[in-house]
Amino acid sequence: MLIELKDVNKTYNNGQPLHVLKGIDLSIDKGEFVSIMGASGSGKSTLLNILGILDNYDTGEYWLNGRLIKDLSERQAADYRNRMIGFIFQSFNLIGFKTAVENVELPLFYQGVSRHKRHALAMEYLERLGLKEWAGHYPNEMSEGQKQRVAIARALITHPQIILADEPTGALDSKTSVEVMELLGQLNREEEVTLIVVTHESGVANCTNKIIHIKDGVIGEIEMNSGHDASAFGTATIMK
Amino acid sequence: MRLDINTYHEIADSLLRNKSRSLLTGFGIFWGLFMLLAMLGAGDGVKGLLKSTFEGFASNAAIIVSSNTSVPYKGFQEGRYWQLKYRDMERMKTLIPEAGVVTPMISQWGQTAVYNSQSTNCSVTGVNADYVEIEAPRLKYGRFLNEVDVERGRKVCVIGKRIYNELFPDGGDPCGTFIQVGSVFFQIVGVNFSSGTININGNTSQKVVIPSTVAQKLYNRGENVDIICMTAKSGIKMSSLEPRVRQVLGREHYFDPKDEPAMMFLNTEEIFTLIDTLFRGVDFLILLIGLGTLLAGAIGVSNIMMVTVKERTVEIGIRRAIGATPRDILSQIMLESISLTLIAGMFGIMFSVLTLSVAEKIVAASGEFTPEFQIGFWLAVAAAALLAVLGMLAGLAPALRAMNIKPVDAMRDE
Repeated sequence: MLIELKDVNKTYNNGQPLHVLKGIDLSIDKGEFVSIMGASGSGKSTLLNILGILDNYDTGEYWLNGRLIKDLSERQAADYRNRMIGFIFQSFNLIGFKTAVENVELPLFYQGVSRHKRHALAMEYLERLGLKEWAGHYPNEMSEGQKQRVAIARALITHPQIILADEPTGALDSKTSVEVMELLGQLNREEEVTLIVVTHESGVANCTNKIIHIKDGVIGEIEMNSGHDASAFGTATIMK
Repeated sequence: MRLDINTYHEIADSLLRNKSRSLLTGFGIFWGLFMLLAMLGAGDGVKGLLKSTFEGFASNAAIIVSSNTSVPYKGFQEGRYWQLKYRDMERMKTLIPEAGVVTPMISQWGQTAVYNSQSTNCSVTGVNADYVEIEAPRLKYGRFLNEVDVERGRKVCVIGKRIYNELFPDGGDPCGTFIQVGSVFFQIVGVNFSSGTININGNTSQKVVIPSTVAQKLYNRGENVDIICMTAKSGIKMSSLEPRVRQVLGREHYFDPKDEPAMMFLNTEEIFTLIDTLFRGVDFLILLIGLGTLLAGAIGVSNIMMVTVKERTVEIGIRRAIGATPRDILSQIMLESISLTLIAGMFGIMFSVLTLSVAEKIVAASGEFTPEFQIGFWLAVAAAALLAVLGMLAGLAPALRAMNIKPVDAMRDE
C-alpha cells in the first residue's frame, strides 16, 4: 500500500475543541485515481492536509510509502512534501510575479537542482501539457484552464508518489473542468501517477476510479467506479 | 541556506516586483548613510580648515602684553601704563623654571619694503631665534633667523609670502638678495610661506622678520619690549603658570598680581582646549544625527518588510507547501533585507563620496585652502559593515514572522 491511515484522529482546539477526524482508516494503492467526497465541514480538507503533510494529526498512524509520517520536524516535512507529494489547488496558487516556467521550476529550486537542468525539465513538462508557447507568460496573462495546467506541471515535476488535488475544478467552468479531469485521468493511466482528488462535486468524483465518501469525520461508503457511472448528474458532464 | 545564483535571482525577483516600494524603502537607508558620511566628511574638512588656521602655532603658549592698571597699588594710582622690559624675560626664566621658551617681540608698523622697482607695505617684527617655538615657520626658501644673527645684530630678514609675491613677481629663490625697509637694507635669508591666520602683532605673510637686537636699535626701543611670548615645559599647563607670571611681573612693575586688566595674558592652551571641546561636541552631534537617521531608515526597512511578509503570506505558504524549509524562507527574507540595505547604502556611500569631492573642488577653487572633506577608505568599509548588520537586524523580525507561516494557514488565507 502506498498510503495507509490507521485510526487517524484530529481535533482543532480553537476555543471550542472541534473533533474533525474521528478515526479514519484508509488505504490507497499505487496508481489509484481516487476522489474523496464530502460536504463542506465533513473533514475532507483536513484529511487532505494530513495526507499532504501540511498538518499534523493527533492519534493514529499515517504510513506513506512504508514510512511513518508522524511528529516530523518542519524540515523533514518540507523535504517529504517536496519529494513525495505534488499539490494542485483550487485557486492554482501560482506565484504571480513568476512566469509559468518559473512557477513549474520552483519545487526543483528547493531541491537544489541547477538552473539549466530545472529549466529544461520545466519546459519539457509544459510542452507535455501543451503550454510550451506560454512558458514566458505570467499567470495573470493565462486562462484559468491554462493556469491549472501550469499548476499540474508544477505538481508533476518532482515525480511525486502521490498528487493531491484540492477541488482542482473549483474555480473552473464546466468545459475546462472536464478538460482538467480528463487530463488527470490521462496522467493516471499513462504515467501511473497516484491521484487523490478532494471534491464536493459528484461530477468530478465520477471521473475518478474510486470514490471515498466522508461524512462528519468518518469514512462512509467506498464506491468502486471504474465504469464512471456513479453519479446520475455526472455521467455526461460536470454540473456547475 | 543555498547561496548561489538562484538565490540572488529569487531576491532580485521579489525586490524588483515592487520597484517603487523597494526604492522608497531603500531611500531611507540611502539618505541616512549619505547624511552620516557627508556630515562626517564635512565635519572633518571644516576641522581641517580651522586647524590650518592654527598651523604652526604652539598649543601651550602664552602671549604677554602690558596694559593699564585698573586698581591703585603700592602708592600708584590706577590707570598707569607700565612697559615690558628685556630683563623681565631673564626674571621669568629664573623664577619660573617650568617656563620653556621666553622670547621677545618688537614690532614696527607701517613700513615699506622695496626691491628694485617693486615695493609693498609691511610690518617689521624683531624676534629671537627661539621664536620658532611659538610660531613654527613654513620655510619655502632659506632658513629662519639663528642665534648668531641675533647676537651679532646682523641685518638679515625672513619675509612673508605676500611680500615675497609682491617683491619677486617672477618667483625664484630670493635668499641673498637685499631689500630696503625704511632706510635700511636687509639681506633675505628665508621666505616663510606659513598660511596660518592666527598671528601675533600682524599678519605673518606681511611681516619682515628681523633679529630683535636690530629692531631694538633701529627703532630706538632701548630696553622696551612690546610682547613677551612664552611656552610651558611639556606636561605643564600654561594656565597653571599664569598667577606666577602675574606675580613676577607685578612685583617688578608695581601692579597688583590680581589686577587682571593690567596685564594681558593670552593663553593658547585655553583656546585650543576650547576648540577641541567644540570639535568633540560637533563630532558627537554628527554621529548622533547620522546614526539616528540611519537607524530610522533601518526601522523603515524592517517595517516595510513586515508589511511585505504579511502581504506575501500566500506566496510563502505556497513555497512551504512545495518544499521550502522554514530556513529557506528565513534566509530569503533576511537576504532580501540585507540586499536592499546594502544596495541602498552603497549608493549612499557613492553619493556622499561624490558630493564631498565636488565640495572639495569648489572650496579649493574659491580659496587658498586645500580642504580634505573626503571620507577615508576604512570609514567607508566600516559603514558598509554597519549596513550589513543593520540589514540583518531589520530583516530579523519580519523573517521570523515569515518563518512561522504554516502552509495550511496560507492556503486558508485566500
